[in-house]
Amino acid sequence: MMPSGKMLPLVVAGGVVTVILGFVVVVLLISWFSNPPFGLGNAPAQPVAFPHTVHVAENNIQCEFCHRNVTKGEAATVPAVETCLFCHKDIDGATVTAQAEIDKVRTAFETDQPINWERVHRLPDHVRFIHESHIRYFTDETTPVKYGINGEEITQSPDVAQTCTICHGDIANKTVVKPKAGQSLKMGTCLDCHRNNDVPTDCTVCHK
Amino acid sequence: MVTQRENHKWGMVVDLDRCTGCQACVVACQAENNIPINTQSYFQQRRAYEWIRIERYWEGEFPNVKARFIPILCQHCENAPCEPVCPVFATYHNDEGLNVQVYNRCIGTRYCSVNCPYTVRFFNFWQPQWPDRFRNQLNPDVTVRTRGVMEKCTFCVQRLRRGEVNVERRGLEPLTGERIPVADRKLNYRQMKEGNYMPACVQACPTNALQFADQHDETGPVKAIFEEANGQIETREHGGHVDEAHTRVYRLFEEVGTKPNLIYLKKVDAFPVDKRPR
Repeated sequence: MMPSGKMLPLVVAGGVVTVILGFVVVVLLISWFSNPPFGLGNAPAQPVAFPHTVHVAENNIQCEFCHRNVTKGEAATVPAVETCLFCHKDIDGATVTAQAEIDKVRTAFETDQPINWERVHRLPDHVRFIHESHIRYFTDETTPVKYGINGEEITQSPDVAQTCTICHGDIANKTVVKPKAGQSLKMGTCLDCHRNNDVPTDCTVCHK
Repeated sequence: MVTQRENHKWGMVVDLDRCTGCQACVVACQAENNIPINTQSYFQQRRAYEWIRIERYWEGEFPNVKARFIPILCQHCENAPCEPVCPVFATYHNDEGLNVQVYNRCIGTRYCSVNCPYTVRFFNFWQPQWPDRFRNQLNPDVTVRTRGVMEKCTFCVQRLRRGEVNVERRGLEPLTGERIPVADRKLNYRQMKEGNYMPACVQACPTNALQFADQHDETGPVKAIFEEANGQIETREHGGHVDEAHTRVYRLFEEVGTKPNLIYLKKVDAFPVDKRPR
């Protein structure tokens, strides 16, 4: 039965409202299930194309050699230009493109300019995460069994580099580091791991 | 693996006999906890942020008056009226006897501030702003609260966590300075002791009117005072002779039944104000 003349505007309005609400619901669903939503998980453009594959996987440089503060403080920190020059003072790139990137670093060092790395992993302001404590816990040999984020047992005490992969994933074999390459850094992930390992889950442990 | 957090019960003793009303604690608190700068307009609207404030009272009649000061901060009540009214559980009591406000959980109903008899909870009616030159002095350990959440004194819980990390890192006993064996030096090494950690106001107090310590610490300076307040021991100075007039211990609004973890010590006046009408 077609709606009568009086009902027609109401039906049209109802249809419009339904379409708008449906659109909102779809957008919310997408943003909830795609993690992170709308391409926010893409890697930011870095000033220098730094391949972890060459440095870590091929040449076996330890994480804490460049991320110096990771066993000493809260932030892992990106290295100073000087740190790159430890090696790249003498070592040249294997290819022309690699050499171009290394030249950028050398120029930055000679002109006393910092390299403005874009931050990849960022936690909200109200979260305090201390790299040092977590690495100390996982590398500690006096705790016989530790548990990973998904509840898997870690019986052999990992070294620092293996500890990093628990959250950050296999950075060593990634040319470009994307956010959420390893674990999603949501609160649920933190809580799962804290519960598995029977460490405090009080709010004030991380939020202050 | 058991954490030792629940062994703690933090508490503060405010000795009004020593308080000179200098406001050093207020300044220290504002600087430590990223509290927005209170303007005249904030005060006139009664929306100023003062996690700790000095209340001033006049005692006596005009020519014969004395100023009385009481520092008032969050009392971290055992039986806190703010906690049960929160619909989202943003304020709760943790294992260490702290009344915790979780900023990212708060939805800003302000029920807690209405229910607080001490008026020590403050609502962010505006997005906090600082002049550009103050940006770099914000404390990185403390969240900058956004508009629409409640905030209050935390007993500087960020300093407590910092102290714990320092204990882990240095591997030294906080008080004695003895080396902790590596086997005991873990993430969950929580043997925090007073002296290792104190809130900013306590550290700033020039006359030591504020004392902060673990109530469970047998050797701590405040244990005896808390025991006296709880009626577990008779008055210290006049042991064996219970005389209400001689004990200085009291709690704010004791009759409300909030059981604060803050204790006040009455002022002892050598030359009391003559209150008789002239």
